[in-house]
Amino acid sequence: MFGAFRATNSLSGGLLWKIPWRLSPTQKYRQRQRLKAVDKVVETLSTALAKKGETVKSLERWKAEMPTEAEMLAKDKYTIFDRKEKRYRKGIHKLPKWTRVSQRLNPPGF
Amino acid sequence: MSYFRITLHRSAIGLPQRTRDVLSALGLHKRSQTVYHPVEPQFAGMIMKVKELVKVAEVDRKLEKWEVKAERRPDSGFYLEKMAPRMEDGGQKVGSRVLARLRGEEGGEMTVEGVRTEAGGQVRL
Repeated sequence: MFGAFRATNSLSGGLLWKIPWRLSPTQKYRQRQRLKAVDKVVETLSTALAKKGETVKSLERWKAEMPTEAEMLAKDKYTIFDRKEKRYRKGIHKLPKWTRVSQRLNPPGF
Repeated sequence: MSYFRITLHRSAIGLPQRTRDVLSALGLHKRSQTVYHPVEPQFAGMIMKVKELVKVAEVDRKLEKWEVKAERRPDSGFYLEKMAPRMEDGGQKVGSRVLARLRGEEGGEMTVEGVRTEAGGQVRL
């Protein structure tokens, strides 16, 4: 049980990466900052174009569909829908490239 | 004419080729690189594609490199004040004459409300 030849997960299975099941408070804070940064970019684009009386379809679609950081529920900020997971939710940090992609919407009811 | 000032804040390593292509079409090749593009729908659409990676501001003109650098420079914490011109002794001592008149040492009526320094502050006794 103890000593150099104990059967730990990493010794018996080789490489073991442990990803915590939830975000730490600092990770959540930084996630909020990233969401706000994207909101700010969108707002800058829309005000700049509105001054010229123009707009872009992708911008309009984003504004119509996507909630801002303040409008989002905490569970949508920090977790993501997954059909294989118990209770259908897992931490958003399991999403590949999660700090550089926009993942704001989840299936209604979940 | 106003411009979008676009700075690449997050790297596109590991992101789809199309995202990286948009960045290179914008002229962004390294992190912290800044480019300027006119406020046009086509550039707004390109920025929308990479909105998670860039910082965007609307500016009136393309800033020079030294201007961007000066923005980043922190406050030095001190400033140099020019030496105020001093009056020679025996010459016209403006401040002291006003004070003397106010104290009643010199003739002439003067109210406190009437005395204002050149900078706009009031003289208190």
